[in-house]
Amino acid sequence: MKKSNSSILAAALALPGIISTAQAQVTVPNATLIQFKYLYYRDYQDSGNRITVNSPALYLLAPISDSWVFEIGAVYDNVSGASPYYHSVLSGASGQGIKDGRSQGDLTVTKYFGRTAISARAAYSTEDDYKSISGGLTLRHATPDQNTTFTIGAGYSSDEVSPSDGPVFTRTKTTIDGIVGITQVLGRNDTAQLNFYYAQQRGYLTDPYKALFGVDQRPDHRDQYAAVIRWNHYFDGLKASLRSSYRYYHDDWEISANTVTFEWAQELPYGFTLTPSVRYSTQSAAYFYYDPVYDPVAGRPFPPGYFSNPNGFYSADQRLSAFGAISPGLKIAKSFVGGWSVDAKAEYYEQRADWRLGGEGSPGLEDFKAQLYQFGVSKKF
Amino acid sequence: MASHCEVRVYAADEAAARHWSDAAIAEVRRIETKYSRYRDGSITTAINHAAGGAPMGVDTETASLLDFATNLYQQSDGAFDLTSGVLRRAWDFKARQVPAQAALNKLLSRVGWSKVMWQSPLLQLGAEMEIDFGGIGKEYAADRAAAVVADLGGQHGLINLGGDVRVIGPHADGEPWRIAVQDPRGEQGVTIAYLKVPHGAMATSGDYERYFEHDGRRYSHLLDPRTGWPVEHWRSVSVVAPLAIAAGACATVAMLQPVDSALAFLDQQGVRYLAIDNHGERYAK
Repeated sequence: MKKSNSSILAAALALPGIISTAQAQVTVPNATLIQFKYLYYRDYQDSGNRITVNSPALYLLAPISDSWVFEIGAVYDNVSGASPYYHSVLSGASGQGIKDGRSQGDLTVTKYFGRTAISARAAYSTEDDYKSISGGLTLRHATPDQNTTFTIGAGYSSDEVSPSDGPVFTRTKTTIDGIVGITQVLGRNDTAQLNFYYAQQRGYLTDPYKALFGVDQRPDHRDQYAAVIRWNHYFDGLKASLRSSYRYYHDDWEISANTVTFEWAQELPYGFTLTPSVRYSTQSAAYFYYDPVYDPVAGRPFPPGYFSNPNGFYSADQRLSAFGAISPGLKIAKSFVGGWSVDAKAEYYEQRADWRLGGEGSPGLEDFKAQLYQFGVSKKF
Repeated sequence: MASHCEVRVYAADEAAARHWSDAAIAEVRRIETKYSRYRDGSITTAINHAAGGAPMGVDTETASLLDFATNLYQQSDGAFDLTSGVLRRAWDFKARQVPAQAALNKLLSRVGWSKVMWQSPLLQLGAEMEIDFGGIGKEYAADRAAAVVADLGGQHGLINLGGDVRVIGPHADGEPWRIAVQDPRGEQGVTIAYLKVPHGAMATSGDYERYFEHDGRRYSHLLDPRTGWPVEHWRSVSVVAPLAIAAGACATVAMLQPVDSALAFLDQQGVRYLAIDNHGERYAK
């Protein structure tokens, strides 16, 4: 699937614990891990189904020596369905069909120098008319007591979209991003983390497949900033962890978002862990998002004010609107002797304009919903 | 309209397809009737009749188009000008005559959007000035006709008004429309490229629609409203943009600019294009 249209899926996957929270320590893993995950995702509105994604993924982590670790990942996404998000309440018509298969491979090599680890990552992703290469370097360093870990990293990616025959209409997008963070062990049962992210996108930021019947003209640059604070607490008596996080996001498209997440990982007998979770997010609209109200005179497809400002930025992309979203989830995992473990996870997402806090939501949009199911099995050697 | 026009839609049955295309055609006819400079009852004719007289109030739809044209005039440094049509009086493409500079100068005094008083909704043209909606009227009609079909429930199809194409939505199976670009030096129907357009619009402006050759020089119908002379920077410019009105306007303006400034203009507009210059060199983005 195209990176640019997977924000909700990406947000769902960004739950702490799925993308690993930066480890509190810098130590060489001592076991080889093989993991298979299968993800099913679908989003929909009352007027119809939007996108369905089936995505198997394979992951291998292999310590090669005392100080070298290799990680290899392979993902295949099969995306089908209709384009979502665009003023579906007014279009009288839902999506346009899309079908895409994306393959991605990535390789990470980490070299440990005592309490310091340097990781280099490279990834390649391709589908019919789209390809992306990315790479990055991350440095982690722990204090001698291993109670404090600093992380600094930078990445680069280059995406190419060719929505036409031949090479001539290729459009590119480049992203440079960086992270700095600190993880602090606060005691036997508490770990806190603070990370800052910055990303700078340049180039073609309009999704050529998403502009439904309307105008989608976006700036060719976007600067994104985020700060995430996490706190994990382990309750001895309950044998449970509470993982909480708060994320503040702001970009120069004037979207500001606040997200809080809570996960309760409850250990149960027989190696089971049950993890209910809930996430709430609220955001303001991009300055060029327009409500599903068209030019009062000419009507569709002209956004209001288009004739006097045809070079302005306009988008009807629901992801750029003002809304609030709630996402409950439940995960069950079981570990077996011999290094096997299996897990299954379900998550529901619902986005509504009137769930926004701190301001009005964008009017006139249909509620947007998504379901995500994931099954995984892994083996440690 | 004096060009090949088509409505193509996917519908559940013939009756729906007929209903949608009839509605689209009706919208195109409405706009043509309202804005054609050849029709006695059109708003364009009324505006031109009122030239040199008192300011005339126009309806809101016309005001929108005049705002759009004003904007284009400013962005193109005067290359796009609704008042340039009177220059056609000097350039007779049937008689193949190159006019005298004196005749052009006389006409140029009647050309120039800066000489027009436009304060919405009041419009006042100087004496003997004329406007027409070439370059945006047909494209506006394509946008509106596509909206009419979309409002009725059509999701897959396109509106083609003489080569200015507005996509309603991609083919029913989700594949983009492949829109051919005419070879500007080939026979009618010979194409040099296909552009995939799943959404939005494509418009082409070319120097091959009307022209004559005289003393080994080619004179096209593309007249620079600032000089009165035909320009020969480009053979054709095709533009893909979210709206047909934007694609058409960008193509028209680019045709009138030298290569460097035309490309800068198109880049600044953020549109995709395939442009073929006077030597056959292709520029695409």
